[in-house]
Amino acid sequence: MVDLTQLHDAILRGDAKKAVAVTREALAENASPTELVSKHMIPAMDEVGRRFECQEYFVPELLLSARAMKGALELIRPLLVEQGVASAGRVIIGTVKGDLHDIGKNLVASMLEGAGFEVIDLGTDVAPGKIVTEILERKPNIVALSALLTTTMPFMKSTIEELRKAGVREQVKVMVGGAPVTQQYAEQIGADGYSDNANGAVAIARKLVSG
Amino acid sequence: MPEKPASDLVHIRLHPQGTTLHVPRGTPLQEILFEYGVEFPCGGHGRCKGCRVRILSGDAPWTPGEEEVLSPAELADGWRLACRSRASGDVTLEIRQWEAAILADHSSFEFRPGEGLGIAVDLGTTTLAAQLLDLATGDVLAVRTGLNPQAAYGGDVMSRIQYALSPGGQPRLEKLIRSGIGDLILGLLEAAGRGREIGDVVIVGNTVMHHLFCGIDIAPLAHYPFEPARDGLEIRESGALGWNIPGRPPVRFLPCLGGFVGSDILAGIIASGMHESMELAALIDLGTNGEIVLGNRERMLCASTAAGPAFEGARIRMGMQATTGAISAVEVSDGNFHCRVLGGVPARGICGSGVVDAVAAGLKLGVIQPSGRFAPHVQQWHLATDVTLYQGDIRELQLAKAAIAAATHLLLLRWQAERGDVRHVYLAGAFGNYVDRASAGRIGLLDFPFHIVEPSGNTALLGAKMVLCNSDLTDDFADLRRRIRHVPLAADPLFEDSFVDCMSFPEPGAQNEI
Ligand code: B12
Repeated sequence: MVDLTQLHDAILRGDAKKAVAVTREALAENASPTELVSKHMIPAMDEVGRRFECQEYFVPELLLSARAMKGALELIRPLLVEQGVASAGRVIIGTVKGDLHDIGKNLVASMLEGAGFEVIDLGTDVAPGKIVTEILERKPNIVALSALLTTTMPFMKSTIEELRKAGVREQVKVMVGGAPVTQQYAEQIGADGYSDNANGAVAIARKLVSG
Repeated sequence: MPEKPASDLVHIRLHPQGTTLHVPRGTPLQEILFEYGVEFPCGGHGRCKGCRVRILSGDAPWTPGEEEVLSPAELADGWRLACRSRASGDVTLEIRQWEAAILADHSSFEFRPGEGLGIAVDLGTTTLAAQLLDLATGDVLAVRTGLNPQAAYGGDVMSRIQYALSPGGQPRLEKLIRSGIGDLILGLLEAAGRGREIGDVVIVGNTVMHHLFCGIDIAPLAHYPFEPARDGLEIRESGALGWNIPGRPPVRFLPCLGGFVGSDILAGIIASGMHESMELAALIDLGTNGEIVLGNRERMLCASTAAGPAFEGARIRMGMQATTGAISAVEVSDGNFHCRVLGGVPARGICGSGVVDAVAAGLKLGVIQPSGRFAPHVQQWHLATDVTLYQGDIRELQLAKAAIAAATHLLLLRWQAERGDVRHVYLAGAFGNYVDRASAGRIGLLDFPFHIVEPSGNTALLGAKMVLCNSDLTDDFADLRRRIRHVPLAADPLFEDSFVDCMSFPEPGAQNEI
């Protein structure tokens, strides 16, 4: 039997090759896909997130770990779908209109994926109307918005207003983040959650879907 | 005159302005002249001779080290490095930087004698600098500097735009900057003496400053695609700006280059002479918004890359501006580090150049690992009794330096050149003057051999002066601008990878030989 702590360690070290190899071997030995995810990958990504939050890890390390996690997940995902395993929740994420900064948004998306969420990434410069359409089509639990510019942050507010107008605001939880965004601003525009980092984003998302 | 013992104060006369300063004996000339707008390109380390002054009368012994930079003939002629000298007795000084000749230092610039007086203005997001020139000789007759009064409404350009978009915001910012520059000009006129007419005023600044000064709608610059409606040469009547200047000269704001890259960079290109040489050169302006130009006479690429304010000491826990009490340099010798503090007082914070130095020193001493993380047993680093460097500070610096390094890398790629093809790197702007080039190399901020990196001072103002002395009033630099292409980094698919690659620090010995 393959030693599954190796999967945990490979993700922690950001070693994608190793992560994929161990996963492949484990699946060949009929390991349970759900257990691989919940007992090994999610705890590994939780640890990565913790290290990132206390600044032991930085953007490059987080990205490498995310890549390793994604490599392994690609092998497992078809099996999860086959077995009809539900994700932790569905999230649509994007950088708001007028803004092309996406590095932080991508990290948040990866961490959410690593935590077992299904993530639909709408990219950058996402207009409020597009979010409404996607909500109607994809029925997500959470809408996550990122903004890095003082001048584009107000589009978070207009997006929430647009959701309200379209009558879909109550169908989703909205969380916001990005360097200029603050807890206070998040509350002021009526968002449901805020965090200043990718690890916190996972904690918020978990809280939002559980209650 | 206040009753002071005669020995306490000495008189320093500045030529050709004729200003006389009274300063305590023993004051470093650097402190005195800096306030008058004299620049210290190498940061006052006695490594270049950009700050040289000539003793026209009086006595100023030269200090050890000066003979390494100045020739025996220059020393005999009375030339001294201002950064090495003190006010030891009454002297009259001629300031090299204020003479026309310096305009030609870097380029084949041809000085065309004109008539009357002209004014060159560098309209910076934070600071303003204006000089009065004799157009017949190119000499600087007076210098005035000040803070951009708009700064009260936001430190960086985006916050400024945000304020401009609020009701009544843009007209208020316009009024503030016009009267701010108007005041500087009044100061210059006073120094020139009554009744002298001004023939020409040239202003340079980034695209946001261009719009806010000229009264062009700023809204398109607030979000992607950041395409200004109008960013060409703007000419105004001085009277229409609310300025009462004898001679009623036209005022020209030089054209922008694209996106956020403005005429300050156009002027920088002109000052560096890179547009006239076949050699590949880079002009790098290290600021909150880093601007980079790469190219030669045939074609140039430019980009703006938002580094953030780390280089100015902001977003650093104990960060501060480069003023008294700031750790401005950290040196390593024999496995120990030593901090230099501005003003010779106990350290109370650290400025941008100090942060770059501290991290370079930390890497050398093994306190900081190439990943940017402190060594396993280190939580934070006490640089001085009251000053500590934190993990988050290093992270902030990593973002800033990666933004510059990645942009440089991308321009090289788009120009289809190798790093080794670059012959000159001109460092523009205040931070570029003060940052230690070896440390900048060590942290991977400037990945070029030490000897090709030249701190070049305020190239924006220098270029504006050259334009003032050498161009027609209606010149819109169409020919030069045609050779410069703006590269928008945000839309570049390669930027993110490059940015992340540049975030770590080079392994020891991996960076360029210095
Ligand atoms: C990299 C960068 C760029 C890159 C962007 C590349 C890319 N593909 O994203 C480039 C060079 C292209 C760029 C361009 C510009 N930039 Co820029 N950029 C930066 C920089 C240096 C780092 C941003 C970053 O990636 N940080 C790393 C990530 C991991 O952190 P983060 O984004 O904050 O994300 C974390 C958290 O905020 C949170 N989070 C993020 N999103 C979300 C979402 C949710 C839901 C949650 C819960 C959490 C969360 O989690 C993330 C991980 O922990 C910052 C300065 C800085 N030091 O922060 C400026 C900065 C953001 N940029 C700035 C500016 C002005 C610009 C430009 C307008 C100017 C220019 N020079 O051209 C352009 C506009 C680009 C555009 N069209 O949108 C300014 C904004 C100032 C302001 N007051 O608004 C900054 C602050 C720099 C500055 N002070 O001048 N930039």
